[in-house]
Amino acid sequence: MAAGLFRKVYDWLLRTFWATEMDVTMIGLQNAGKTSLLRVLSGGEFTLDSIPTVGFNMKRVQRGHVTLKCWDLGGQPRFRIMWERYCRGVNAIVFIVDIADIALLPMAREELHALMEHENLEGIPLLVLGNKSDLPDKLSVDELIDAMDLKNIAHREVSCYGISAKEETNLDAVLQWLLKFANR
Amino acid sequence: MSYGKKDEDADTGLVKVDRTQVFQKARLFNSSPIQPRRCRALLTEIALLLYTGEKFPTKEATTLFFGISKLFQNKDASLRQMVHLVIKELASSAEDIIMVTSTIMKDTGGSTDAIYRPNAIRALCRIIDATTVQSIERVMKTAIVDKNPSVASAALVSSYHLLPIAKDVVRRWQSETQEAAASNKSSGGFSLGFSSSSSNLPVNNSTMTQYHAIGLLYQMRMHDRMALVKMVQQFGAAGAVKNPAAITMLVRLAAQLAEEDPQLKRPMMALLDGWLRHKSEMVNFEAAKAICDMRDVTDAEVSQAVSVLQLFLTSPRAVTKFAALRILHNFASFRPQAVNMCNQDIEALISNSNRSIATFAITTLLKTGNETSVDRLMKQISGFMSEITDEFKITIVEAIRTLCLKFPSKQAGMLRFLSGILRDEGGYEFKRAVVESIFDLIKFVPDSKGDALAHLCEFIEDCEFTKLAVRILHLLGLEGPQTSQPTKYIRYIYNRVVLENAIVRAAAVTALAKFGVGQKDPEVKQSVEVLLTRCLDDVDDEVRDRAALNLRLMKEEDETATRLVKNDNLFALSYFEQQLVMYVTSDDKSTFQAPFDIAKIPVVTREQADAEDKTKKLTATIPSLKPARAGPTKAAPSGAEAVASASVAAQKHAHELMQIPEMNEFGSVLKSSPLVELTEAETEYVVTVVKHIFKKHVVLQYEVKNTLPATVLENVSVVAAPSDDEELEELFIIQAEKLETDIPGKVYVAFRKLNGGASLPVSTFTNVLKFTSKEIDPTSDEPEEEGYDDEYEVAEFDLTGSDYVVPIFAGNFAHIWEQVGAMGEEAEETLQLSSVKSIADATEQLAKTLSLQPLEGTDVPVSQTTHTLKLLGKTVNGGRVVANIRMAYSHKSGVTTKITVRSEEEGVAALVVGSVA
Repeated sequence: MAAGLFRKVYDWLLRTFWATEMDVTMIGLQNAGKTSLLRVLSGGEFTLDSIPTVGFNMKRVQRGHVTLKCWDLGGQPRFRIMWERYCRGVNAIVFIVDIADIALLPMAREELHALMEHENLEGIPLLVLGNKSDLPDKLSVDELIDAMDLKNIAHREVSCYGISAKEETNLDAVLQWLLKFANR
Repeated sequence: MSYGKKDEDADTGLVKVDRTQVFQKARLFNSSPIQPRRCRALLTEIALLLYTGEKFPTKEATTLFFGISKLFQNKDASLRQMVHLVIKELASSAEDIIMVTSTIMKDTGGSTDAIYRPNAIRALCRIIDATTVQSIERVMKTAIVDKNPSVASAALVSSYHLLPIAKDVVRRWQSETQEAAASNKSSGGFSLGFSSSSSNLPVNNSTMTQYHAIGLLYQMRMHDRMALVKMVQQFGAAGAVKNPAAITMLVRLAAQLAEEDPQLKRPMMALLDGWLRHKSEMVNFEAAKAICDMRDVTDAEVSQAVSVLQLFLTSPRAVTKFAALRILHNFASFRPQAVNMCNQDIEALISNSNRSIATFAITTLLKTGNETSVDRLMKQISGFMSEITDEFKITIVEAIRTLCLKFPSKQAGMLRFLSGILRDEGGYEFKRAVVESIFDLIKFVPDSKGDALAHLCEFIEDCEFTKLAVRILHLLGLEGPQTSQPTKYIRYIYNRVVLENAIVRAAAVTALAKFGVGQKDPEVKQSVEVLLTRCLDDVDDEVRDRAALNLRLMKEEDETATRLVKNDNLFALSYFEQQLVMYVTSDDKSTFQAPFDIAKIPVVTREQADAEDKTKKLTATIPSLKPARAGPTKAAPSGAEAVASASVAAQKHAHELMQIPEMNEFGSVLKSSPLVELTEAETEYVVTVVKHIFKKHVVLQYEVKNTLPATVLENVSVVAAPSDDEELEELFIIQAEKLETDIPGKVYVAFRKLNGGASLPVSTFTNVLKFTSKEIDPTSDEPEEEGYDDEYEVAEFDLTGSDYVVPIFAGNFAHIWEQVGAMGEEAEETLQLSSVKSIADATEQLAKTLSLQPLEGTDVPVSQTTHTLKLLGKTVNGGRVVANIRMAYSHKSGVTTKITVRSEEEGVAALVVGSVA
């Protein structure tokens, strides 16, 4: 009983003084792998046949004393207009691209640039992830930076990584990058 | 759910919540980390606003909505519940609600004891749209059969709401719903408790799920009668369903099925009977009500229900007494004798301190009671008339109005009562009911006329309702001149001209004129003229115009003026209305090239109209009390409907006949008989006949329906052979060219009366249907070239004396009886009607068969064993026919009747008697 009480007090102290919560929004065209990435990040199994997200999903990812609240938004055209609303005031935006689907790259670029022009979102760090690096016909990171025209995105910190949600490559780098912004 | 109107009266003193303030505070939702306690309080405020009818503008609602969506997946279960609750309410006004689908879906699954699951399901069905319903199918199916009743109920009720937007998907959940309906969980209370943590979830053991499941099943199977029957039988079995609300629904369903399909009546009645003994009162009441409401229910079938209700009358709880009494009251309106057995128990309730119960008790007794109890009851009512509301007062007045017509001898007491309450305080509807009851007394109970008119005169002296004053003035104009002292009424009427508004003044002028035009007494005529001349100076146009016109008419010597002012003929109003509606709603543009021809509308005399009116009034209580059922009901019309539709039908026939060129020369129809069925309704060819009597001709109108599929009948004619061809000669047959399956056609056979217009030939007709039958080729859908001739014999029917008689109304029977007896002839017959089970049935049937109007309230037998029925009518030639029928009932031999008929015309009396034999 007393131990339980003590534990509660300790947790509360930890939460109040050291624990941090941060919001991260994950966007990208449909079938880029947002939901799968989030599932893997939060410790779940990778599945090939996930259903398209209607609206959004929210998941918490715990790292040390930091809780990442990840908002995984639907990528279908009807949901894209609502991205901006969920990007307002977050600690970081993660934009995920399917680097094995070259035909869709121009559209991804347009959507990203359109979003970055909103005044509300000025200064929010952006992380572009080239997902599905395990597939054979894919772009390299440099090619992706060019294809997405990332050099022209101003007023914020921009990074770009190649990852694979399926094979869990480079995911630690992603989390490390995100945690940099935890206390801002 | 919509809380459409803002609740203005809501007690805002307790909590002050302002929409704009709440909206400002909503920024709280975006703060990080989330503060569950404060968020919950804010959400509660939003919910309060929504539930009291406040509406957020779309933009605010959307902002709130997205703010709230930030709170999803919080660890605090109660916050989750609140989030779902508010999302559900905001769904109708916010935009882009589809965003939260995936997140809410997550909350619908998960551990069985999560308290927010039902809330999530209910919210989910509000935000989903038709295209995405499929994606929640699996979730819903599992939720419907969930072992937690709250979850199952939420899923079932949500499916209800989803049905209109995604019928096909929801229909696929039938087997799950069926399972939910059949599952008998242990019973207990229905809980909607909120708790701060999911661990101590309140246990919900309700069986309400069954109610929801059966409701949903009905929605799914609504259009499949066999499935419904199966459902009622399956769940209606004893113990199959525990929830009383669910059984109540089954009761209603069973009653509806029995109503729609006579084949099902027997099995459904058996079920209803069983439910009368169910242990829940709710079910007993519903079953009893269903049985009482059933059309054509027999005394034996209803006795069980009535005795169950009788038991409830002595219940200690007021609501039980009230419910039982209300059902009995409705039933007593058209089957008083069946409620008789409860009279003693109802008596005990008339002094009940609950006024609603007392009112119903008294009005029920007024309907079931006999002449002797009326006075006592009236006294009892007068005692508390001032303590009840207008609606109840109207109920009582209506009861007394029917009573007046039933027991004319009690008119004095009733009139005293009516005039008494007319002086009381009351709204328009109540006063109107009283005034109309007095009108009926004047019209149908001649003895009361003098007193009733006096009371009305007194009433208009101080009447705040213009409409009523106008109607009373009109009536005074009609009745006043015929009384012994017309001058008395003139004074009252002229007072109105001096004291009232323009509308009443105009009505008073017209009423005055009725005293003047055609007045034989020069003194009276002179005074009316003086009064009317004064009205020429009135400030209102209408009043002056009417006065001027009537002054001019009074100076006319000939009959024209009298005919104009005292017109005793009316248009057949129901037919007139129907024709006008047809004209106005016509799709064919050419209809409007010709103006509406009022000459086509038949004119009836006031006597005929009165007769019809009275029949309607006595039976009017039946349909008005039966709630209009949704959907088509094919059952036979009853009571006033039948009367109304019969007269409309007759006039419709008349109109149709006029369209046939061959019959133009016959003149107008004098009488059309009711429909006679010559075959059973299920035979290959369904034949009915209507007999039309013209001055010198008789036309038989056969309606033939071919029910055989894939055949066509051509050149259909009917060979109608009268048994006696000395009086009737066949003139021509108008064939029906072609009869397709289930489309009725008409065949006319015309006869000439050989002995001229005055003769009334009677005969028995044998009928043979002749036609060429052709089969329809299934490949081309065309009838084959070759057919074969065929004959089909249908039942015989009689052309009887009653076919020449129409009912008319008069106030005083004895006078006419003597009058007709003095100059006409008499015929007598004694009959044994062994098949008739009661005096009441005999009375009804005899009046109908003889086609005469019951007078002096004799259509309602007072005693069960003996009765005298007085009837009046006139032949198509105008001669009066009076009948006096005495009957006695004994258990062994049925009803014995002695019919005496007197007629002004020669031979008619015997003919009319003959139509019964």
